[in-house]
Amino acid sequence: MSDNGKEKEQVTLTIDGREITVDKGTTVLEAATQLGIHIPTFCWHPKLDSIGACRMCLVAVEKFPKPAVSCATEVMPGMIVRTDSEEIVKARRGVLEFLLLNHPLDCPTCDKGGECDLQDNVFHYGIDKSRQTFTRLRVVDEDTHTTFDDKRIGPEVIRNMNRCVTCYKCVRFNKEIAGEYDLGAYERGNHTVIDAPPGEQIDNFYSGNVVEICPVGALTNTDWRYKVRNWIAKQAASICSHDADGQNITLWYDQRQLWRATSRRNDEVDEGWLCNIARYGYQYVNSQDRLTQPLIKKEGKQVPATWDEAISLIVKRFKDIKENKGSVCLAGLIGGNQSVETAYLFNKFFRNKLKTNNLDYRLEYIDLKSSDENEAYNSLYRAPFKIASLENADVVLIFASNFIKDHPSVNLRLRKAYRKFGTQVYTVNPVETKSADISIDEMIYAPDTETAFTAGLIHAIIDNKLYKNIDDAKVAEMKAKISPATLADAAKLCGVDEDRFTALAKKLSDANNPFILAGDFLVASSKRHRTANGLFNIANLLNIPDGNAAILGSQANSIGFDRVGMRPNLPEQVKKILEEKWGEPVPASAGSNTSQIFKNILDEEIDSVFIMGANPAMRYPDGPFVNASLEKIDFLVVADLFETATSSKADVVLPLAGWSEQSGAYVNIEGRYQRFEKALAPKAGIKTGIEIIHAIADAMELPLDLNLAELTKETKDVVDAFERVPRDTGKFFEVKQAQIPEHADYPYRLIIGNDLHHFGYLTEHCPSLMRFTPEPYLEISPNLAEKFEIEDGMLVRVESATGKLVLKAKLSEHFEGEVLFIPNNFAATEVNSLISRENGGWVKIEKLDDK
Amino acid sequence: MAQEQVFFKYIDDPNQHKIDTYIEHGGYQAVQKVLKEYKPPEVIDTVKESGVRGRGGAGFPAGLKWSFVPQNTGKPIYLACNADESEPGTCKDRVIMENDPHMLIEGIMICCYAINAHHAFIYIRGEFAFPAARVEAAVNEAYEKGYLGKNIFGSGFDLDVIVHTGGGAYICGEETALLSSLEGSRGNSRIRPPFPAVEGLYKCPTVINNVETLASLPSIFDKGIEWYRSHGTEKSPGTKIFSLSGNVNKPGNYEVDLGTPLSYVINELGGGVQDGRKLKAIIPGGSSTPLLMPDQIDTPLDYESVAAAGSMLGSGAIIVIDERCCMVWALMKLINFYAHESCGRCTPCREGTAWLKQLINRIENGEGKQGDIELILDACDNIIGRTICPLGDAAVMPTRSFIEHFRDEFEYHIEHKKCKVKTDYPFV
Repeated sequence: MSDNGKEKEQVTLTIDGREITVDKGTTVLEAATQLGIHIPTFCWHPKLDSIGACRMCLVAVEKFPKPAVSCATEVMPGMIVRTDSEEIVKARRGVLEFLLLNHPLDCPTCDKGGECDLQDNVFHYGIDKSRQTFTRLRVVDEDTHTTFDDKRIGPEVIRNMNRCVTCYKCVRFNKEIAGEYDLGAYERGNHTVIDAPPGEQIDNFYSGNVVEICPVGALTNTDWRYKVRNWIAKQAASICSHDADGQNITLWYDQRQLWRATSRRNDEVDEGWLCNIARYGYQYVNSQDRLTQPLIKKEGKQVPATWDEAISLIVKRFKDIKENKGSVCLAGLIGGNQSVETAYLFNKFFRNKLKTNNLDYRLEYIDLKSSDENEAYNSLYRAPFKIASLENADVVLIFASNFIKDHPSVNLRLRKAYRKFGTQVYTVNPVETKSADISIDEMIYAPDTETAFTAGLIHAIIDNKLYKNIDDAKVAEMKAKISPATLADAAKLCGVDEDRFTALAKKLSDANNPFILAGDFLVASSKRHRTANGLFNIANLLNIPDGNAAILGSQANSIGFDRVGMRPNLPEQVKKILEEKWGEPVPASAGSNTSQIFKNILDEEIDSVFIMGANPAMRYPDGPFVNASLEKIDFLVVADLFETATSSKADVVLPLAGWSEQSGAYVNIEGRYQRFEKALAPKAGIKTGIEIIHAIADAMELPLDLNLAELTKETKDVVDAFERVPRDTGKFFEVKQAQIPEHADYPYRLIIGNDLHHFGYLTEHCPSLMRFTPEPYLEISPNLAEKFEIEDGMLVRVESATGKLVLKAKLSEHFEGEVLFIPNNFAATEVNSLISRENGGWVKIEKLDDK
Repeated sequence: MAQEQVFFKYIDDPNQHKIDTYIEHGGYQAVQKVLKEYKPPEVIDTVKESGVRGRGGAGFPAGLKWSFVPQNTGKPIYLACNADESEPGTCKDRVIMENDPHMLIEGIMICCYAINAHHAFIYIRGEFAFPAARVEAAVNEAYEKGYLGKNIFGSGFDLDVIVHTGGGAYICGEETALLSSLEGSRGNSRIRPPFPAVEGLYKCPTVINNVETLASLPSIFDKGIEWYRSHGTEKSPGTKIFSLSGNVNKPGNYEVDLGTPLSYVINELGGGVQDGRKLKAIIPGGSSTPLLMPDQIDTPLDYESVAAAGSMLGSGAIIVIDERCCMVWALMKLINFYAHESCGRCTPCREGTAWLKQLINRIENGEGKQGDIELILDACDNIIGRTICPLGDAAVMPTRSFIEHFRDEFEYHIEHKKCKVKTDYPFV
């Protein structure tokens, strides 16, 4: 537990004759660093436990019998330390000589050259003559029969043992931070080999970090190696463009393309660790398949056109519809990874200039209206949660979230809290998740019963009188509004024992600083508002601090778009801010959200939609409906990086710039406004979203009069002005489990979502991520597979009331029971064709012929 | 000069490993007395007063070690019995485990009661299949009798003992590597602090004691401190088992009072150097300890005297080397062992021992170069005191000692590409 602002004890010591006072518990290395004294290291890493293995950081301490490792020696009062004595310099030169004994000295052809700790230290300590006269050790690899040379040990990671200094940082990262065991040290002594376990490969979700923290050229990745020299590449500070955590990255690029992403450590967000999607997910920008010129539909066929032609056509049709049918017949949809500035300008153009409220950014969820109008959902969605605050948590409930997939950085912070501060974790999910390994109890509820779960938990709290600061009468009043009406009923519906509800309730109630964090299973559920009511009540019953109970957004700019009013119907405070900025009221007409827009198209109430950076045809979880709607649309404009299922139906397709090709900002789940710099400019023929909006607005003679600097400032003002009303702790809401539809013919619940190594529809264009998951699959529990005699890799037909697909089966130990999963990240497999609002995602399966 | 035998009193009874025989011979009396009459701190005080020192090699006072265990952390406390007897030449714990395993179990019970531990682990080296089977059987017998488990002897004290065999790595006899291995990890040593007494097995306070140390406890409580102190010297009380090997007529394990002259063990008990040959050198305390020379043969075998003679009592493995032995060859055998057993954790040991191995092998093979001896000694300087655990030191100490005492043999080897000692020495 951190000290919560308590004064830390101070210790004064002397390093190289200079006195310094630091907090007790500081290491000598850290104290020296504060003085600006550099102590060389290989195995030390600020976020890993010190193991004192490389012995480079040895220092002399007066009264110590022998040199001490400064990375693991805590300061003591009156300590007198020398970092540069003759003895120490000899020791370090000794270590370097040892490390070079079997090192290939292949710096000119080594990819790490120029950013290698070994190279730097050897240069610094001037080891320019070797006393080593033996043939350098080369261990023969059993698999390849090559010597220590390059060996691919994972989809991305390539290992060269010749260069390894055996600092164990990679193995330690895997074990300590990621909780993964797909990399280890084998053999012993100077035959020690870093490798994946026999028959396995290093393919965990955070595996890219081992390459980044390798101090030498022992671990490299396919993404970057041998393509460009690090000192030639330029760097741009950026932010991951996929999930909502906002991992800080540095993009390395030259005049040709982006070359790699490395971490740009931000201790409040990511602590310097990136998930593979943040690391390799930039690659879609480089793709050769990018759109580079506009397309216009002529006689049913999309043909190349100039920007002028495309813009004139858009302007003509927009004007036409606006004047003849009215502004309410126009709509704008924008994808979650556009910059907050783009969204703000988009919003301003549609609302303030075109005078329509038909705007949305949530293109992957159905039934938005119910949650839009739900106070509990909005309050929890906008909760002031801070990632770093998890370190002070004593009990954390992860609710309806595959946490590693939904929130890679928060997941690592949770693992840190668990490992370092003894935080206790509970998970409640429809399927088993990676978090199970740190959970005291991982509860799996029956599909679609998450609301009932919250009801059960409420009953457990009330029945055991675990609530706080509330009088009994009010509690009794609330209990009457909870359905299922008893813990026993709720437990039965969820398929989770009553005792487990009670144990969880007690744990949360006893905790000083409990957290409840909900994720994508809840956000994607059409009954999210009902479950949010339940979570809201629980938070109030247990008096959980406002920032500790949250529903976490899912896309890079989910929270940013919420702040700048990218929803059809604006929250009061946002409306006020926008009207102030624009100097006139927003249109009074009721706006339509994503699902209503598609519905209105079918009802011929909306004629034209502008979709920027989104692919609802593939991602909207009601395929038959969305595709019918897109077919029907009178005039569809799609701006995107690639041709997509959605763009194929468009009348005009505009080539859109990627996030790295412009500057902008994302607002992450914490409400943290984070800017990203422009790296490489887009190719000729591609425009940024901002340029496109300006071009259309100007041509319509509705100029927006904002240059980039003004736009950035105005957007920032709007984001900053957003003030959340704190959770109303006096309120309670009705909690009612929705009817679970009859589905006798289709007995299995299909869940769709992102694959671990994919996000949205863009990552299919990232070669590195495709190496991890190259194709879609049907994830199935071993039990269910056994029932159908399905083996791993066999073809299975999945059929719902609306469609059928054939997929390869992937047996997953994670899965229990009768739940299926298919990733919706692959354009060729229209997973959403299986799902409609009516059938709710229930399917049947059938084994096709063997293999 | 017949000496009282503690560990070996019933060495000739083929049934001593069985619990009934052990009880017949007065076993499990001490622990009952302790559970009934002593409070845990009194046990620690008694052990402190007895002066018993750790028999694993370092000779650290056992009672003092126990007293370092913090009792108020809220975490469980563990005892790990170090039965990973791997130091070349040492085979004393093996005899105890094979012939008198209940003596060890009784000692473990006393220790656990003293330090308030309810779980003890016996970490036995992987190659000790038979001793491990014997200990396992003994533990099962003790459970059957109700001597282990819940409410032992009606005292309310609970104890579980788990027998765990290693995978066969020398390093796992080093206490922190032993803990890593016991936790299921690779047997890598860890930096100290934190010391195991504060943060050991599973980050909980842990005492690690050698088999012989623990096995000596029952007799202390049976017969009293005065009796215990009547053996050995003031600072090194008690008896100790010495594993005598090398060029002696009667190699084997001998139990003598500490302070007994080395010459008594070699000449009286061991029957002198094989075939009356000339003594060349003695490794007194396991292969990592520096050599004693023939003129030091009267050195008393206690911790202080051997240290004063420039070596260490260590684990008590006495290796006798006679005149036929080429010291370059002997050092090569030792260094090959240490390079092979380095765990690979820290640089100086991992790379340094391997380099020493290459250099010394080169000399032995007649390919030595001028300057190799200086290079070896300089590399030694970069290893000793620079490593996480004592394995690096263990490789350096004999290297330095062999070169110091027999530099001429190394120089001869480099110059003449053959042994200075013309021998028919076996094994070469």
